[in-house]
Amino acid sequence: MKLTIGWLYPELMSTYGDRGNIFVLIKRCEWRKIMVRIIPVDFRTTDKEIESCDLIFGGGAQDRQQGLAIDNLLKKGSTLKKLFDRGVPGLFVCGAPQLLGHYYMTGDGKKLIGLGIFDMESKHFGKDKPRCIGNTVYRWNDKTVVGFENHGGRTYLANVKPFATVVKGCGNNGEDKTEGAVYKNCIATYSHGPFLPKNPHVADWLIAKALEVKYGKKIELAPLDDSLEWQAHEFMLHKKS
Amino acid sequence: MSLRTRLAIIIGKFTSFISKAFKLGAGATWPGEIALRIQPRILRFLTERIPHLVLVAGTNGKTTTVKMIQTILTHAGHRVVRNASGANLDNGLVSTLLSDERAPYVIFEVDEATLPNILKDVTPEILVLTNLFRDQLDRYGEVDTIAEKWLLALGALDEKTTVIVNADDPHLAFIGSKLAAKVKYYGLEDPSLFLPKMQHATDTIYCPNCGARLTFAGVYFSHLGKWACGVCSFVPPTEDVTAGDFESPVEGVYNKYNTLAAALTAQVLDIPKQNIREALSTFTPAFGRMENIVVENRRVKILLSKNPTGFNESLRTVAASVDQGPVLFVLNDRIPDGRDVSWIWDVDFEFYKDFSRYLVSGDRVYDMALRLKYAEISANKIQVIPSLPEAVHNGIYSVKENEVLWILATYSAMLDVRKILTGRKIL
Repeated sequence: MKLTIGWLYPELMSTYGDRGNIFVLIKRCEWRKIMVRIIPVDFRTTDKEIESCDLIFGGGAQDRQQGLAIDNLLKKGSTLKKLFDRGVPGLFVCGAPQLLGHYYMTGDGKKLIGLGIFDMESKHFGKDKPRCIGNTVYRWNDKTVVGFENHGGRTYLANVKPFATVVKGCGNNGEDKTEGAVYKNCIATYSHGPFLPKNPHVADWLIAKALEVKYGKKIELAPLDDSLEWQAHEFMLHKKS
Repeated sequence: MSLRTRLAIIIGKFTSFISKAFKLGAGATWPGEIALRIQPRILRFLTERIPHLVLVAGTNGKTTTVKMIQTILTHAGHRVVRNASGANLDNGLVSTLLSDERAPYVIFEVDEATLPNILKDVTPEILVLTNLFRDQLDRYGEVDTIAEKWLLALGALDEKTTVIVNADDPHLAFIGSKLAAKVKYYGLEDPSLFLPKMQHATDTIYCPNCGARLTFAGVYFSHLGKWACGVCSFVPPTEDVTAGDFESPVEGVYNKYNTLAAALTAQVLDIPKQNIREALSTFTPAFGRMENIVVENRRVKILLSKNPTGFNESLRTVAASVDQGPVLFVLNDRIPDGRDVSWIWDVDFEFYKDFSRYLVSGDRVYDMALRLKYAEISANKIQVIPSLPEAVHNGIYSVKENEVLWILATYSAMLDVRKILTGRKIL
């Protein structure tokens, strides 16, 4: 079996350990003898190349870097949406909820247009509302998920499902206990950086979905020894702050 | 001087005296904190009369650069005072000045986020800018944000100040090009030190002037290198000193930069070249910065490694050293380390899989162990030891003759390691 993973603007959108997610996807495939090819999705990438992807990953960016990427990314919006409509899985971390929704209103009132794939809106309330920074715990399909959030904006979901519910931390807006969003098999989360290493079940869910869509049948992944992953996960569940 | 300022100084000094007399601490920050609460502008009054004030700011290399400058000036017979390493916020600076008002040479390392505020009250004779890398995003914000604030704050300096800039960092060179102050540059100019390829942990690879992708004829580490913008008119500045001019007394490519920064500072302070070279040859590392400690005849070297670039350079230094031996990685997530440990995934462990043994410890021991697992370092070479004293002891007692135990630790972890090794507290 073989998977092609598209990594959005690896040079621009990889602020803080984001590539950890790619490492985890690669290794967890390789350890199961699934061949992986990583292709950067950036300024030179054609629509046809994007359409060949079985999984999409997007990391976080500094403001200036995101500014450099955004016009180009917006042009790829409809191709990406078609992909996700087909069931191709995706993972977007960090500022993703702001990028994938209709728009993001900045602290000084500028409206930044998003990809509009997810029916949701984000807003920064200026300095009155503190940033959401810290370790987080969410509940996802009866399992726990751990992360670290660091965002100033707040996201409000319209007609789209949340990715998870908040157990610890702020989540989308600190009000309704929702965290991130899911459209078909595409996950957006405020968890930033290396989200998958301590959440091997989410990593495997993405890989399984990718194989399922590509080969048109349900595929059972071979189990791996994840004792270290779960030890790290458990540690975060019980961590005081 | 107003009554309020005088009161702030007296109470600050009294606090300093009390905290030392009753051993409540080294008095590195508290006296200053109290004086600042009484007179927030106190730094202005305390620094006005200093004949030679040097500030050193940047992500990495501050402490070593400050200590090198101190070594050179002391060697030249000058009386020098500097802040304790890590006490680099305004309260640390004020505390230092309260404890010694008369030294004609004052050298401060300044926290990168604090620098703009300090410059509102302080006009240094020399300001050294070492580098800007991603570091503790949760505390400092993004590299671009810091650079913007610096540009704004440094714009207010005039020709009375000399700004000493690392020309190999494109963002700092850009700041240098915009200043009214005098600017001098240093850079390596040694292609034999170029890395075979660009590292992942880079921050400024797009032109700070026009946004185009920079091209690099070679990189020394991260985004420090021989850069060029093919699109706009922004070009690398001419360097006043390069690696050929002064030899680094300590291992590590980053120490070559620290050496040049210190030497150029000393030159601006009129120290002759030959004296600078002599003084540098007597230099001993600051604590936890390539520091050598001998415990029961076994050698330990500690390298503070607190962000991706620092950690990468530590690994490169260990791999290149004649001293081989086990490595101990200690990862903490306390306030001085940054609560967020995501950055370890930007470190290139993949290139360093051949050390004989790997020990892992610290508050976030499992995160570090997981990182090594995904770098495919073989599991039978890795020991996961949550208790730091146990990890340090295991490491030391596993060291064979002719071997060194290398300890790479984040800030608070480095202090803990030293405490375990030397049995006393530093800060």
